[in-house]
Amino acid sequence: MLEGIPILSLVILVPLIGAFVTLGLGRYGKQARVVALAFSALAFVLSLLMTYEFVTDPTSEATGYHNGYQFYEEYAWSDSLGVSYIVGIDGISLPLFVLTTLLCMLAILFSWDTEKRQKEYFGLMLILEVGVLGVFVSLDYFMFYVFWEVVLIPMYFMIGIWGGPKKDYAAIKFFIYTHVASLALLVAIMAMYFEAGLQTFSMEAIAAESVGFAKGVQVAIFAAMFFGFGVKLPMVPFHTWLPDAHVEAPTAGSVLLAGLLLKMGGYGIIRVAIPSLPEGASELSILMAVIGVVSIVYGAMLCLAQKDLKKMVAYSSISHMGFVLLGFATLSQVGIVAGVFMMFAHGLVTAVLFMMCGVMQHKCGTRLIPMLGGLSKRMPIAATLMTAGFLASLGLPGLVSFAAEFMVFYATFVKWSLWVLVPVVAVVVTAAYYLWALQRSMFGPMTDRIDTSHLKDMDWFEYVPVAALMALIAVFGVFPGLIFSRIDSAVEIVMRLFGGG
Amino acid sequence: MLEYAWLIPVFPFAAFILIALLPKRTLWWEDGAVYAIGGALGAMCLSFLVVWDVVMGDTLIDGSQRFEWLVVGDFSVTFGIWIDQLSAVMLVVVSVVGTLVVFYSGGYMHGEGETRRRYYAEIMLFISVMYGLVIADNYLLMFIFWELVGLCSYLLIGFWYERPSAASAAKRAFIVTRVGDIMFMAGIIILFKYVGSLDFADLFSGAGVAAVPSDMMILATALIFGGAIGKSAQFPLHEWLPDAMEGPTTVSALIHAATMVKAGVYLTARSYPLLVQAPESLLFVAAIGGITALVAATAALAQNDIKRVLAYSTISQLGYMTLGLGAGGYLVIHADSAAGYSAATFHLMNHAFFKALLFLCAGSVIHAVGTNDMRQMGGLGKVMKITSLTMLIGSLAIAGMPPLSGFWSKDEVLAAVWHAGEFDPAFMMLWVMGIATAFLTAFYMFRMWFMTFAGEPRSDYHAHESPRIMTVPLMILAGLAVVSGFALFIGDGFKAFMEGSIDGLLAGAGHESVFDVAVEIFTDPLTYLTLALAIVGIVLAWRMYYVPGFDRSVFAKGFNGKLQRALENRWYISKFYDDFAIKVVYAASLVADAFDRHVIDGIVNGFAYLGGNMGQVLRRLQNGNVQRYTGLIVVGICLLLILVLYVLPWGGW
Repeated sequence: MLEGIPILSLVILVPLIGAFVTLGLGRYGKQARVVALAFSALAFVLSLLMTYEFVTDPTSEATGYHNGYQFYEEYAWSDSLGVSYIVGIDGISLPLFVLTTLLCMLAILFSWDTEKRQKEYFGLMLILEVGVLGVFVSLDYFMFYVFWEVVLIPMYFMIGIWGGPKKDYAAIKFFIYTHVASLALLVAIMAMYFEAGLQTFSMEAIAAESVGFAKGVQVAIFAAMFFGFGVKLPMVPFHTWLPDAHVEAPTAGSVLLAGLLLKMGGYGIIRVAIPSLPEGASELSILMAVIGVVSIVYGAMLCLAQKDLKKMVAYSSISHMGFVLLGFATLSQVGIVAGVFMMFAHGLVTAVLFMMCGVMQHKCGTRLIPMLGGLSKRMPIAATLMTAGFLASLGLPGLVSFAAEFMVFYATFVKWSLWVLVPVVAVVVTAAYYLWALQRSMFGPMTDRIDTSHLKDMDWFEYVPVAALMALIAVFGVFPGLIFSRIDSAVEIVMRLFGGG
Repeated sequence: MLEYAWLIPVFPFAAFILIALLPKRTLWWEDGAVYAIGGALGAMCLSFLVVWDVVMGDTLIDGSQRFEWLVVGDFSVTFGIWIDQLSAVMLVVVSVVGTLVVFYSGGYMHGEGETRRRYYAEIMLFISVMYGLVIADNYLLMFIFWELVGLCSYLLIGFWYERPSAASAAKRAFIVTRVGDIMFMAGIIILFKYVGSLDFADLFSGAGVAAVPSDMMILATALIFGGAIGKSAQFPLHEWLPDAMEGPTTVSALIHAATMVKAGVYLTARSYPLLVQAPESLLFVAAIGGITALVAATAALAQNDIKRVLAYSTISQLGYMTLGLGAGGYLVIHADSAAGYSAATFHLMNHAFFKALLFLCAGSVIHAVGTNDMRQMGGLGKVMKITSLTMLIGSLAIAGMPPLSGFWSKDEVLAAVWHAGEFDPAFMMLWVMGIATAFLTAFYMFRMWFMTFAGEPRSDYHAHESPRIMTVPLMILAGLAVVSGFALFIGDGFKAFMEGSIDGLLAGAGHESVFDVAVEIFTDPLTYLTLALAIVGIVLAWRMYYVPGFDRSVFAKGFNGKLQRALENRWYISKFYDDFAIKVVYAASLVADAFDRHVIDGIVNGFAYLGGNMGQVLRRLQNGNVQRYTGLIVVGICLLLILVLYVLPWGGW
């Protein structure tokens, strides 16, 4: 069906055109949300078509299968520098790619009642989508870095313009912090480029060379990349930009930040750092594991202390992304597949959680847990969805995160034996902070610290996206194999570098 | 029939979906009770067909159709069903108690209005996942249902969520049982690594067992039993169960007495092929069981809430079951006898019936009087004839009076523990704890019965007997509490039946005839000792709580009242956990939060400040102080040397 169609470029192009159209609406600015939704929905549908094609025949030459990548496209850009536009997708990027088109569409829908500077708001979201999509399919370092940086700018403006009271501080902190990390990444990319000496930025070509780099070089470059990607993940101790950014960002911004931008860090580690520099990765695997475990446990402890619902959810991302890192650190097939699946799962779940925080802000005017209480009575739909989202996040079996967590623990035990008990304990803390927050905000007697006389349940544009995400969370929780099998075949290729894992 | 057993959980699950999603006006009678009754009855009928097949000697323990859940590299998880004698016992318990509770709810929940929809949906989900747990053939699948059972318990304990105590109790139950759950999970991860599968068929085979090193087997079995400690409310994780009484009484009957808390005992029994490889774990199981039985029985002595008395008695009886299983493992190893194993599962079944009966009776009383506090009751026997009589039957059964069911199974458990004492003296001490518990049980149960039904009313209530839809289930359960003990003597007997599910572990010694079993019970002097203690307990309760004019303060004043206060405060265990949660965990989280904001983020902001004010800083450094210049030069040279001599060579340059 898609023979000869550059479907990946098309999916990236649609939101880009959409962004220009949205920004250029002029006096029809009121329609920005409709236009943006239409373009993001088109991108989503195209990505589903692509998924269908991928699933039915992942190695079909007719649609551009090339060395493990499907829908492969390559166009030379600058021969003298060796820069080309190369895109392709495999089982690792596919779930994240579709997650991107889905979350962008739902985030736009969720922002339906935005009033401030609508054209810019929705236009920036589409630009963000372009950047994230590009990162997930680029197979050329130069393009990868360009898309990587493209993502920063719209997010900076989203926090800086539509953010909360401390938006300036949060926006500049987000920008500088992640930019410093990007520079480390740039240095690493340059080091790989020159050390390989191939006059090309093609990831594949460099990786073929870089696996043979001397151990010390691999370690040094890996360390720089790990820092660059790890800040984005985020990993302790480079995580403090995250809670500030989230607390100030508008809801849709948080959804995209936690749902997609954090995944870029994890994706970079598994797409670039580990397969290109296997010896460096092996050498630093203990460091990755320690940081992963510290992120899991420390992040969970921080959540317990939070009074702001959104800040708690933000910190929970640190804890959950620690699982991704821990899974990768095992450098085993099960661990890596579980890490990738965890990214996908976290994307779905955290989007629900941030949307629910947005609902609280919207309906109650505050997200401070001590101000809330007993809302279940007046907001039964919100209470049900919030409970479901929290349960999904705390790893309840039957919902999506469980399979990932279980397999990360398994892979950790296989590699490091009983050390696994340290992160396992965090699972109890996770249950504690979520259920305690639920108890104080949703259950018990109705709060009298805010005006509840006009309290209404969720609007349609709020519960449609949340309910859709919850449905997916349940489907992939009961049938995780649907996604695992895709990731697995892709990771197998990575694992050959480690002697079959 | 057995291959269709997977349909059993489907019936209540379908009911759950219907009740949750149907428009309100199509819910009919009692906001969905019709669908709930349909789901429960459908599952019960199918369960009975399956159980009949098992009784006829058929089982399904391998070769069932399998569903592939996950495949990653050589890590593969497939799910199927497993039906043997042990599953059959659980199917009987869940289906009978579940169905009766749903009927009873039709009366009990009548006044709850629209929230009944949520109630019936959650009850159906609970029954469904409980069936799933019972027929799972894989530890991971079992764990999935195990957690979902915990979820339903959370939702149902917090059913009246606007009560702060209910919301708090629900959270507590989930978190405390989760402590057990992570142990369970860690245990199965260990097994997974060594055996490469979590199917019972692979794990319980000779090759599966041999693949696990013995120290890891001890750890794995102890951890799996850790799951049971949480779910079956064993010491020291038992305090969530009395708190869970915040839920509707029907929920207490179904979840916190008859079914969910049995999941832990079921898990332990299911893991027998592994446990007998690790005698250390078996002793641990037995010790936990014995301690639980005694601690909970003492705490029950001083409770004034009728449901809490029953909750502690549940914990105590669950302790008996675990004790029986621990001792039974020794009998399997040393005497090729399934006596302890069958006794514990027998007690599991009998207890389910009489405890569901007791809870539903308590519900009937609460429904009539409007309070849980026994100090407000008294004299109810006159107005609630059916309830008082059925509760008397239940109390006699749990106290171990022949010929009611509790007598037979409790006696079997204690006999097995005594017998295990031949192989390890520790069991003698556990046996003493067991008979002490028997005495206490009889005492506190009749304290409860006399306080509730005997004497004169102590408050101004207008009680009346409950409607037929509630009393009929009571009568059915009372009938079961009388007769279920005779399963010991039907056909080849319960013992021979249960041997079927662990016959791979026994050397195939011919089993005793039903006649031998009876002779053994009635010729054993220990039977009469236990019986005498129970009777003394009842008489003492009668003297203290029925005969007027008894000065009970004599006991309250013992040990300067400290003992009384300790009992009333349930040995301060709950308080200990509260303090631990607030003063240790929460305090640590506050410290972490402050550290995060001030130290980690402080450094970040410090760098930013440095960057923004570099000029200022540099100017201050160049202050013309020669000593400082020299110092900086020395530090700089050292750093350079380190870089050139150590860092760069390590980096390959």
